[in-house]
Amino acid sequence: MLPAKKSPPKQDHADLTVLVYGPSKIGKSTWCSKSEGALFLATEPGLNSLDVFQAPIRSWEELLAACAEIAEGKHSFQTIVLDTVDNAYRMCSDYICAKFKIEHESDLGYGKGWALINNEFQRVLTKLAFLPYGLFLVSHSQEKEIETRTGKHIRIVPTLPDKARKIVLGMVDLILFCDLEVTSDESGKPVYRRVMRTKPSPHYEAGDRTGRLPDTIALDFQAFLDAFNKPLAGAKAGAPKPVPAPGDAQDKKPAPAGK
Amino acid sequence: MESKTTTTYSMWSLFRNCRKACEWRYIRELVPLEREHSLAFGAVIHKCLELWHDGRDLGPVLDFIDRTYVNRTQEEDQRRDWHLASAMMKGYAACWPVEEFEVVALEKTFEGSIVNPATGAMSRSFVLAGRVDGVVRIGNEHFLLEHKTASQVDADYLERLWTDFQITLYSRYVEQALGIKIAGVLYNILVKARLQQSRGETETEFEARRAELIAKSKTGKSSAKRRLPESDDEFQDRLAAKYAEPGMFQREMLYLSRDRFETLQSELWELTQAFLDARRRGVFYQNTAFCFHYHRPCSYFPLCRADGSTNISENFYRKVPPHEELRDEASFEDAPAF
Repeated sequence: MLPAKKSPPKQDHADLTVLVYGPSKIGKSTWCSKSEGALFLATEPGLNSLDVFQAPIRSWEELLAACAEIAEGKHSFQTIVLDTVDNAYRMCSDYICAKFKIEHESDLGYGKGWALINNEFQRVLTKLAFLPYGLFLVSHSQEKEIETRTGKHIRIVPTLPDKARKIVLGMVDLILFCDLEVTSDESGKPVYRRVMRTKPSPHYEAGDRTGRLPDTIALDFQAFLDAFNKPLAGAKAGAPKPVPAPGDAQDKKPAPAGK
Repeated sequence: MESKTTTTYSMWSLFRNCRKACEWRYIRELVPLEREHSLAFGAVIHKCLELWHDGRDLGPVLDFIDRTYVNRTQEEDQRRDWHLASAMMKGYAACWPVEEFEVVALEKTFEGSIVNPATGAMSRSFVLAGRVDGVVRIGNEHFLLEHKTASQVDADYLERLWTDFQITLYSRYVEQALGIKIAGVLYNILVKARLQQSRGETETEFEARRAELIAKSKTGKSSAKRRLPESDDEFQDRLAAKYAEPGMFQREMLYLSRDRFETLQSELWELTQAFLDARRRGVFYQNTAFCFHYHRPCSYFPLCRADGSTNISENFYRKVPPHEELRDEASFEDAPAF
């Protein structure tokens, strides 16, 4: 019953939970579509130009149903892409409002509505993350004015409400910010390159708990795989997501994410 | 010989309330990236009171407020705080035109040893440092002057002053540092007015209100006029009237019993031993009862909920050396580069 040895850090990118965010049309969904056995839970239109498996999600109930089906495991998908997680949060909000027969989150008083939404959102995302598939969450980016002790500055953050953002950022292994890098060519003309930023900065949110990625990589899935699978030079591979112990029921037969 | 670690009331208080939060702040040296507004406003008022009690001249105080909120014409938050701080300090000066006390020291820092009450031996690991808002003399007795800004002062607030661990601790050490006997504490409480500057109504809002009034009127007419935005002067007048009301500035004097000093010394020693043990074993457990102590999440709640995820610590926190309250104005963070 009890483990005889430590579980090693997960090596496969498909075991990771990843947040990919950035401006519209930069190529987030395209990047996700290149992952192995990708299934898009499409909460917004916009995948028309992509040749992918997608399940249109129009409500939180539909998302729960899809998650329950995924959890059953009778499929060959290996990576679940929730595109976008912002819309999923809005659906969660609508679901809670309908469930409690309120028009707005604030109608329950003392922040109770918001807390119910965040709890439900976290419950489902955590269950999804525990399934033996990769989980890619897609979000848009927005500029936010941050007031620090030394002054105000603009920061680029995912378009999720503050509390939901903290929940998502806390549970993912990688926060990949898709950005345009501008350099100059020999004649001084600007050259634009689509990149992913993987390390935190005062100007944007990003993160890499695995410690495998360089600060910036090209917005190209193969480039990501190459960087991710590059052998680590003595560095620890971090702690991606919790690894269920052998014998753990969740390891073999995941619980449905639905109700 | 290894130097002793400087500790403060804030550290011991946090350690007593939640060891995990204490670890985040004092071992990992993390503070939230975003500034908490109420703390920033309190710090401004503390500085204003220091200036006022130093010279009893309102000019430098109001100058300081103007310089603090230099972007008040463009930024709503700054304008609101500028109005409140200005009105509060004008009201304070009017409320206490003469003082019954004589100022002995302002923003006085101190440092002292922590003593084992059983043996009388000094701690080899820690010293205690702090800064008091002021020391004043009333007649033949000395009191600590402690400024507080509060949203409201009710019975609970006043009763709670007796449990103030910080003040008893500070009294003890100020006695040692200045060589004077502290009889008690003079709490100087300033209440934050909740008034809002009226933004007036837009033409559309006015038309909608007017139409509503006309619909209700038997004559089919209305003499309603559009509500215009409240000017800065009008708002200052309204705030001045509020600060002229009784209860906006309160003083509470508490006498400290000498027995509490002894109890406190023992408690402080126990805390140092518990801290050493926690640090040695690397075990700083979370007191979940404290997570929502002030009816809002603790600053470190997102970090605890994410099991200390580096994604959270690196994106929502930054490293700041502990005991900021001991640094003077020209500390490295605010000092000019040249």
